[in-house]
Amino acid sequence: MDRRDFIKTTAAAGATATLAGCGNPENQLIRFIPEEPLFPGIATWKPGICSLCSAGCGLLVRVMDGEAEVIRNGQAGILKMGLAKKLEGNPDHPISHGKLCARGQAGIQVTYHPDRIRQPLRRTGPRGSGQFQEISWDEAMSEALSRLNGIASADRKTLGVLTRPLSGQRGVLVSEFLEKFGAPPATVFEIFGDEVLREANRRSFGYAQLPTFDLARSRYVLSFGADFLGTWNSPVAHSVAYGEMRQGRPGLRAKFVQAEPRMSQTGANADEWVPVKPGTEGVLALSLAHVILKAKLRTSSAAGRAGELIDGWTTGLQSYAPEAVATRTGLASARIERLALEFAEHGPALAIIGGAPLAHTNGLFQALAVNALNALVGNVGKAGGLLFTPRPDIAAARLAGRNLRDLAAEILSSSRAPVQVLLLNDANPVFGSPPAWRVAEALGKIPYIISFGSFLDETSALADLILPDHSFLESWVDDVPESGTSMSVASIAPPVMRPLHQTRSMPDVLIEIGQQLQPPLSLPWKNYEEMVKAAVDVLPEEPGSWERIQVQGGWWGGAPMPQPNWVQTARRETPATEAQFDGRSEDYPFHFFPYASQAFLDGSLAHLPWLQELPDAVATAMWSSWAEINPRTAQNLGIVQGDTIEIKSLHGTLQVPALLSPGIAPDVVAMPVGQGHQNYTRYASGRGANPLSILSGVTEPETGALAWAATRVRIGKLEKSAQASPLILFSGGMQEHEETHR
Amino acid sequence: MPHRWGMSVDLDRCTGCEACVVACHAENNIPTVGPDEAARGRAKHWMRVERYWEGEFPDVRLKFRPVLCQQCESAPCEPVCPTYASSHTSEGLNAQIYNRCIGTRYCANACPYNVRFFNFYNPVWEKPLDLQLNPDVSIREQGVMEKCTFCIQRINAGKIDAHANGREVQDGDIRPACVQSCTANALVFGDLNDPESAVSRLSRSPRGSKLLEELGTQPKVTYLERETWQESEGTRRG
Repeated sequence: MDRRDFIKTTAAAGATATLAGCGNPENQLIRFIPEEPLFPGIATWKPGICSLCSAGCGLLVRVMDGEAEVIRNGQAGILKMGLAKKLEGNPDHPISHGKLCARGQAGIQVTYHPDRIRQPLRRTGPRGSGQFQEISWDEAMSEALSRLNGIASADRKTLGVLTRPLSGQRGVLVSEFLEKFGAPPATVFEIFGDEVLREANRRSFGYAQLPTFDLARSRYVLSFGADFLGTWNSPVAHSVAYGEMRQGRPGLRAKFVQAEPRMSQTGANADEWVPVKPGTEGVLALSLAHVILKAKLRTSSAAGRAGELIDGWTTGLQSYAPEAVATRTGLASARIERLALEFAEHGPALAIIGGAPLAHTNGLFQALAVNALNALVGNVGKAGGLLFTPRPDIAAARLAGRNLRDLAAEILSSSRAPVQVLLLNDANPVFGSPPAWRVAEALGKIPYIISFGSFLDETSALADLILPDHSFLESWVDDVPESGTSMSVASIAPPVMRPLHQTRSMPDVLIEIGQQLQPPLSLPWKNYEEMVKAAVDVLPEEPGSWERIQVQGGWWGGAPMPQPNWVQTARRETPATEAQFDGRSEDYPFHFFPYASQAFLDGSLAHLPWLQELPDAVATAMWSSWAEINPRTAQNLGIVQGDTIEIKSLHGTLQVPALLSPGIAPDVVAMPVGQGHQNYTRYASGRGANPLSILSGVTEPETGALAWAATRVRIGKLEKSAQASPLILFSGGMQEHEETHR
Repeated sequence: MPHRWGMSVDLDRCTGCEACVVACHAENNIPTVGPDEAARGRAKHWMRVERYWEGEFPDVRLKFRPVLCQQCESAPCEPVCPTYASSHTSEGLNAQIYNRCIGTRYCANACPYNVRFFNFYNPVWEKPLDLQLNPDVSIREQGVMEKCTFCIQRINAGKIDAHANGREVQDGDIRPACVQSCTANALVFGDLNDPESAVSRLSRSPRGSKLLEELGTQPKVTYLERETWQESEGTRRG
């Protein structure tokens, strides 16, 4: 008997004695001897993967011993265990390079959140009331199984999955589960999705994936609305490269130009900020190409396929002369000409499109136009240009079932819902979809909803049964990054700590359900760990690599850029070039510009207190919603900072405090997405307003993606009595003498 | 020679991402104060990113500047403290000794950089948020002033580690939480007494300046100005 076993035995005996002799449950003690070697005050570091956005940054988690108050089998006690204390970037990881963004730093609060769902819940009140009863896992699993067995014997096609995007083995598992069950593919919902750009990249370059930007070796970067240093694509990887682009090369500092109607955190860093009119970014890109072609700096054939997709490309884009587009884009023709020549003469040059320009009804055209500009200067796959990450062969194809709008329409139009049981995984479309899609109403027609959510939000409040997932620090996590590196990466990390609550990992629950269905699904894995291990086995590695992968947090290696895949990319009609807006400009004179907020992204992080109290870098506001308007516009309407204004679209009305900002065009009103939750933990519920709730449901027609930048609004000042949530600004210390300018 | 800790902030690299701000919260057990107290200007951010607008639409620029305690050599916060809670360490840090502090707030009044924060209430960590607390950093209670420490717990750990391994502290061994997380590598920390350290070299940059240096506070944080692009510069090859 070694020392550890000795302590275990004596502790077990002691625990029995303690429990028997103690009447007050609060004082009862469950003693667990930690499996891991923990020494008081000594930190160990374990790899992890941040799961707050799709970038997939590798983590290094500081773990120290501690005592957690837990409940196990109805009994309260204290569990001595290794606790995550701090998240850092993993210095060896090809995406994070040892760095982590503000949201990732706050990610530790997901695990320790006071409002986490701690064990399975069964709904007791009406849907949406938030009334639930705690039940045991046995009860919960048998209820879920009886529902699924019910539809398995009736109509297997009536099982649905609604999930956030899943990369890596979670995505493989969900696809396999649905296929083996005989159900249609999963519906993926993401507010700020990138379907439009993937489709454009597939057509222009043969890669249906997000690009990586080789900023560190670029000499000229021209971005159309992309917040690539803040909230979009792979912000940590690109920020690391951005630092090098600025000051990493002695004697060479690239120029960075940002074209957008509202200055983003990324745009604030530009050497030149170009306030182009919303929806004309693609026209601007083609005008730049026109100038380059006309000056004979490149030939039109240099752009290859990407150029052929554009009408009039081979004849020099005659209709896009700078004089012809000056009014539409709001930019002087001389400026367009200068930018074009700079772009062509300072190679390697790189054009980036992301965010709002893709979220217009002409988003696909705009992306194809910027792609053609990139192809014209020949930067695809080249140093300082546009790269596509080689993905190891274990990644799931993107889950691609019916999109949410079609699914909701189908449910609403049929007398018996085509989905009888819905599995809901970490997606919140009731908060995040436009009212015209009527998602809440459609979900209401689904007889039974099972959620894997860790928190009650607007969508999981509609669930009948909640099987709470582990946090990303408590479960096996894996990811195959889509962008952010030129290396081939499969991130894999074992659990950092033992689960705090009585939760179970979603993939393990799915595998267990598959095993216990009548008849069982033939899923080849006993549990998720085994599944991840089996996937890794196909990677080119020598024996012993599984252990090494677990220690370093994944597998990665150099690889050439993948070959383009031109399957199904026959020449198609050129998509619409003009952006259509919802609302007549006479009645609704302002463009409404919702944007992913620095703290909360799409709103999924509004429950973390550190992020609520993080002052927005551009607005400096905390705990608030606000609407950014140009000071001149405000003056014309008699609005001063902090006034409550009403924003009205064809689809709804919001009341928010006004924030005067010089970095926004006079005909644009911008609002960060993230606040305005009705039901999302004590920190976010009932705070601020949700800009998505007044959006039009119009889409980019060829991809079906929501055109979230295509809504027009009118604004007006409200009387003081109509107070929305106040505007709270960080004043940088204590100024107690002055209560008004905060 | 004793260490003299300093930092350089390259404003040409800084993107305003605020990773440093939350990294500081997580490392130093900084609680949230909630919306009501935040509205009174009592939010605690030892590290903040200030933003400055220049010009008017459409010719508008926005500049970010991360601001933390400047660890002044001649610190206005120190001589005003009646209990020597605010004091100078042998390595040049402006230390705040919590159990000496009686909450006069003279130091916050004297500080020109607005980087001292007073605890008007006891911090609240709604369970189980308390499990994230860093055991290396003490929790500040009601009535006590707090401020950036340059992550002194990491400095001490770095020195102990080096000593245990029988060597001197090397440049780059010690990184405060903000520096470790800084995505664009804008923040660099090190020993100003070592002329070859990265921070010493950067502090000598012709782009360098100190915040409000005309006050004579002799800060140990150097800001490197953001550059402007010039056509000739862009065409020059490295």
